[in-house]
Amino acid sequence: MTKQLIEMKVNGDALEVLVAPEDLLLNVLRNQLGLTGAKYGCGLGRCGSCIVLMDGEPVNSCLILAVAAEGKEITTIEGLWREQGPHPIQEAFIAHGAMQCGFCTPGMVLSSKALLNRNPHPDETEVREALESNLCRCTGYAKIVEAVMSLSHAGKGE
Amino acid sequence: MNPNAVIGRPFPQLNAESKVKGNAAFCDDLWFPKMLYCRILRSPHAHARILEIDTSEAESLPGVKAVITAGDTPRIPFVHVGGPFQDKLPLQDSKVRYVGDEVAAVAALREDIAETALRLIRVKYEVLPAVFDPEEALGEDAPQVHDGKNNALIHIKRDFGNAERALEESDLVLEDVFETQAVSHCNLEPRCSVAMMDEQGVLKIWTSTQSPHYVRKEVSHVLGLPLTNVRVMEIHVGGGFGSRSKVCEDEAITAMLALKTGRPVKIAYSREEEFTATRIRMPFKIWIKQGVTNDGTLTARKMKVIADKGAYAHYGPAVLGYAAGVSCALYRVPNVKYDGYLVYTNKHFAGPFRGFGAPQVTFAIESQIDRLAENLGMDGMALRLKNANQPNETTTNGWRITSCGFSDCIRKAAETSGWAEKKKARAKGNSDQDTLRGIGMACGIHLCGAKIFADGDYSGAIVKVFEDGQVTLYKGNTDMGTWSNTTAAQIVAEEIGIDLDRVRVISMDTETTPTDSGSFASRVLFIHGNAAKKAAAKAKASLLKSAAAVLGETEKDLFIESGAIAVTGNPEKRITIGEAVKQSAEKVCDFISCEYHYDPPSEPLNFQTGYSNISAAYTFTTQVAEVEVDRSTGLVSVQQFVVAQDVGKAINPLAVEGQIEGAVAQGIGYALSEGYHYQDGFVLNANFTDYSMPGIQTLPKDGKLKVILVETDDPEGPFGAKGAGELTLNPTAAAVANAVYDATGIRCNTLPITPEQLAARLEEKAHK
Repeated sequence: MTKQLIEMKVNGDALEVLVAPEDLLLNVLRNQLGLTGAKYGCGLGRCGSCIVLMDGEPVNSCLILAVAAEGKEITTIEGLWREQGPHPIQEAFIAHGAMQCGFCTPGMVLSSKALLNRNPHPDETEVREALESNLCRCTGYAKIVEAVMSLSHAGKGE
Repeated sequence: MNPNAVIGRPFPQLNAESKVKGNAAFCDDLWFPKMLYCRILRSPHAHARILEIDTSEAESLPGVKAVITAGDTPRIPFVHVGGPFQDKLPLQDSKVRYVGDEVAAVAALREDIAETALRLIRVKYEVLPAVFDPEEALGEDAPQVHDGKNNALIHIKRDFGNAERALEESDLVLEDVFETQAVSHCNLEPRCSVAMMDEQGVLKIWTSTQSPHYVRKEVSHVLGLPLTNVRVMEIHVGGGFGSRSKVCEDEAITAMLALKTGRPVKIAYSREEEFTATRIRMPFKIWIKQGVTNDGTLTARKMKVIADKGAYAHYGPAVLGYAAGVSCALYRVPNVKYDGYLVYTNKHFAGPFRGFGAPQVTFAIESQIDRLAENLGMDGMALRLKNANQPNETTTNGWRITSCGFSDCIRKAAETSGWAEKKKARAKGNSDQDTLRGIGMACGIHLCGAKIFADGDYSGAIVKVFEDGQVTLYKGNTDMGTWSNTTAAQIVAEEIGIDLDRVRVISMDTETTPTDSGSFASRVLFIHGNAAKKAAAKAKASLLKSAAAVLGETEKDLFIESGAIAVTGNPEKRITIGEAVKQSAEKVCDFISCEYHYDPPSEPLNFQTGYSNISAAYTFTTQVAEVEVDRSTGLVSVQQFVVAQDVGKAINPLAVEGQIEGAVAQGIGYALSEGYHYQDGFVLNANFTDYSMPGIQTLPKDGKLKVILVETDDPEGPFGAKGAGELTLNPTAAAVANAVYDATGIRCNTLPITPEQLAARLEEKAHK
């Protein structure tokens, strides 16, 4: 199959990327664009380590073909840190100790961002529902929930 | 609290910012010019003789740069626990012994080319009868997993007091059988290694390991190279929980391919490989008898364990040996007899896993303690309090307990969980409801490092203080998510008297860090923490000596505060730490360097008798689970979980709470949902859909996962601290099982307590 040139916006930059039809978005982000924040964890969309935002919605980049990102706006974890410093979600994860090994952290942070974008004041049930597809083996999730809930109370999710 | 204290405060992880930014580089994030990609050909058979391997077709595939089999290697087995247990080659030469065993490896320009090449390797096997059940494997006619070797690879005997007689003389004796299952560590990061030869002929290895110095030792050994020809590098590691506490095959295989090709070689395991070809928790079948007097005093414990080792010994003898230790030491029990058999089968093989055999035996002991209490008509908490280990006692097997908050843990867990009121309410029964509620308690004991390996239990630390006032700690073990770099830095900052942001940590790099056994056995905070503290104390003494000379004062009149050394009573008279380094007679170039090698005051395990004080400190935990059981489906959900744990001193409350919360999650998975399914040695559920590890909805909500830190100020621990990473997991499954019993009246002696198992038992009970 022939490769094709697709256009997408990644972390605010408009890019042209040459991809094969079978290339996964995860591999294109990691191997072609050098954005290694999204991780391969399971390849089946079960662990959430590969989550990125596509037009603001969390997607498992290990399940999405790169061609499906044509014309879309992709936000990876690398795009979240602002020039003036960390995004409030990143600050909350740091302050609450919401990570141990950090492998699941990019996916957790992005799933949390998508939640807070659509619902700035989620209750705990909504936080847990939004993070159902993100596995973490280290933390027991307690501090992750605390971190996201602190933003819900503060209304700083945007 | 001292307002300048660094110890005891909830600092974020040192590398937290890089982790939330996505900058933290894990092994698979590395790329080097000319790098090749490796894939491993694995056995499709549980047991087969390798008759012939033809790699010619694979070698001729464009893009393939090397194919190796055992014939291309020195055929030296890994050391593992040493002695007669060195049974595993990096690539198998004569037989394969489980589905997944390493047979050949390919290095190619791309991963997909390497994968294609695997299918072109022709291996002629003679399939042999296989054995999967350890009890069958003990039979005389059972297939021999290792030719010429008995499948029972070790029998561990412990005999203290006279258990038989004590049981006869007990007022009440109970006997039960328990079975625990194989579970996966489920590290979110699948295994990955990169090996590369540098310009000086040193093999550099980046790998997801907990124990870089062990990897250096094993890889140099199996390649027949001098030790320092291998250098393990610093890299982020995505979890471990024991699966990475020793060498794995991929490190040796990529190293061999890097040697052969002269190019960097990477292997990144798939999730399926992570599930099927890395270590697992060893399944135990446990026969247990315990006796008590009418007043609830434990008199004796007799246990037999058959442990399913799988295809290779690995660290099995040590795991079973430590399980024996816990079996002798949990509670004051004067008479203990333990017989443990480690048995080869044709399945993927077990290794260390958080708790090191203790969760298996604790499940049995604590489930039965619950039954003893019930049969005596005694409250479970009261029975546990009566028999709890106490400070400054020696256990039956020679563990010299110093600091011990066991009784406090029991009381605090009971108080926080509302144990007394809830037990009283439960006494009325809940037989008419669709949702059954129950509460259960269990306790555990653990250690802080252990002298159960031939190498001992040591750690070195180097602390350098530079002319700019910055301090660097060199730490030879891994922070695979345990925050050990942060807590070690806190110890150094506190000891010297500087802010935490003045301390940097270099870890893992075997060339620049002093030798250390690795990050396992809840040892890093305690063993390395002591090394770091003592190295920092030397650095401080050197700084004070220099400052005293500069300021014309004596060292005892000086103190360190906020990056400066000042005179007591005249704090305006001061110099900065950097200046003290500059003026120091002891500086080397532009820094002061101090080293310390810490060897804890513990004793090597006497493997024959089991009597020795293997750790310099011991830890205790009490847990109370509250569950709801759906009567129709048998589904158990944990509504509240309380842990009260003796941590010595919480160097960083965020870090230690996180360790405890994470272990509870693993323990709940162990109790309720996790487990491998096999058919003829094939793993049927090697993915996160069919293997159910706890997600965020599995854990108690609304702050009902409660952690109480009990501080006992250990006399040997750095600033009183003890290890915490593993202990929590030991009794979690028992606490859940006891709560399930309280809810349903059904004792589940086989893990996991699946809805299927429980629903069937509930149905059976309803019809009785």
